[in-house]
Amino acid sequence: MSGKQRIDEQRAFVLHLYPYSETSLVVDVFSRDHGRLALLARGARRPRSALRGLLMAFQPLELGWFGAGEVKTLAKAEWIGGMPLLGGRCLLLGYYLNELLVKMLPREDPHGVLFDAYSAALHALALGGADAPELRRFEKTLLKELGYGLTLDREAVTGDQIIAQEQYAFQVERGPVRKVGAGDTANISVLHGKTLLDMIADDYTDPQTRMESKMLMRQLIAHHLGGKPLQSRRVFMELQEL
Amino acid sequence: MPASTSLEELIEALRGLPGVGPKAAQRMAYHLLQRNRRGADRLARALDSALHNLHHCNRCNNFTEQEICERCLSTRRDPAQLCIVEMPIDLNSMEQTQAYNGLYYVLMGRLSPLDGIGPTELAFGRLIARATDGVVKEVILATNFTNEGEATAHYLSELLHARDIKVSRIARGLPVGGELEFSDAATVAQALRERRDFD
Repeated sequence: MSGKQRIDEQRAFVLHLYPYSETSLVVDVFSRDHGRLALLARGARRPRSALRGLLMAFQPLELGWFGAGEVKTLAKAEWIGGMPLLGGRCLLLGYYLNELLVKMLPREDPHGVLFDAYSAALHALALGGADAPELRRFEKTLLKELGYGLTLDREAVTGDQIIAQEQYAFQVERGPVRKVGAGDTANISVLHGKTLLDMIADDYTDPQTRMESKMLMRQLIAHHLGGKPLQSRRVFMELQEL
Repeated sequence: MPASTSLEELIEALRGLPGVGPKAAQRMAYHLLQRNRRGADRLARALDSALHNLHHCNRCNNFTEQEICERCLSTRRDPAQLCIVEMPIDLNSMEQTQAYNGLYYVLMGRLSPLDGIGPTELAFGRLIARATDGVVKEVILATNFTNEGEATAHYLSELLHARDIKVSRIARGLPVGGELEFSDAATVAQALRERRDFD
C-alpha cells in the first residue's frame, strides 16, 4: 500500500471492537476495496460520541480513514442501512462469520468477491432465510478467495467426474478421492458424491447433504485455522446444551 | 530523576484506573502525598475495606457486604418481577427511573463470543436458579441494545421460556422528546420495524 492516503466513502462492516484507552476503540473492519483493516476510532466511547451505537457489527456502513501505519485513523462513519438488525440465533451465526474473517483474512488484502458474499450472507440471515445454505456458501467463497482452493467436481487422483452414489474420502490439500477401502490415514471426511454435487449447485435441501457438507467445512476450516479454536462455535454449543 | 520504589508503585497502581495515563497518575500521586495526606489515608482504608468486605449478593449478584443485599431483602419491593441488567451501573440507571419496583439480577457482563465470553463465564446457571425460585413471575430483560446485549437477551429468553417463566424485553425506539428530524437513521429504522399497534 502506498504511503499516507485518505480513503473516503468505503463500504465496510465492523467485525470486532477492541477498547483502546478510556474513550477510544480500535475497530477491526472489513471493507469492500481495501480488505480487512484496523481503524482507530478516537473518542468513540465518549458518552455523546456520534460514533457510539454506529460502530456496530452486522450493519452496512460507509467509512473514511487516513494514515499510513498498521492502524489507520477513522475519519468518518455513516450508516447505510437497508438491512434489519440481526436478532436471536442469527447473531451467533453472524459472530461465527466474523470470527472466520478475523482469524483467516490477512490485513489489507482486498477481497471484493468475499465482501459481497459476506454482505449477502448477512442480508439473508437478517431476513430470516435458512441458515445452512448461507453459511456453506460463505465458507466455500472464503476458502476459494483465500486461495485454499476447494475441489468438489472431480476425483482428485483420476480427474473423473463425481458420481452421486459413490463414497469419497476428502483429503484436505487434494480433494475428493474415491473410497476403495480402509487404510487411508489422510482422510478427513467421508462423504457421498451427491453431497459434493449438491455443494457445487448450492442445493442444501437434502438432510444428508446438510450434515456432510457441514462436517466437511468444519474440518477444512479447522485445518486452515491451524488448531486455533473458534470461540463463537464453543459459545454456540454451550448455549445449545443449556 | 530517580523515584523511590513506593512512589513508583503508587503511580503504577493509579494507572490501573480507567482513563488514567502516566501523567495523570503522577499528578494524583504527588497530590495525595503532598497536599492531601488525610485523603490518601482515607482512600487507602476505603479501598482496603471494599476489597475485603464486598462480594456478590447471593440473590442478585450485585456487590454487597452481606450474604444477601438490602435491596433483595426489602419487603417493599415486588419479588415477582426480576429485571436482568448487564452491569451494576445499569442497575443504577434503572433505579433512577423510579419506574420499577421489582428485584434485579446483575449478570456482570454480556455474551461476547469473539472475546470468549459465553454462558459459562457469565454463570447462566446461577441466574436460572434465581429466576426459577417459584416466586418470580416475570423476568424483564434490560440488557443493552448492542449486538452482545441482544444475543444475551435472546438466549436468556429461550432458557427462561423453556422453564415456563414469562419473559419481557424493555422497548427500543425514539427517546422521550425525540424528534424524527434529529434522530439517527438506524434508530428510526429500527423503531419502524418494531412499531406496535396503537390502542
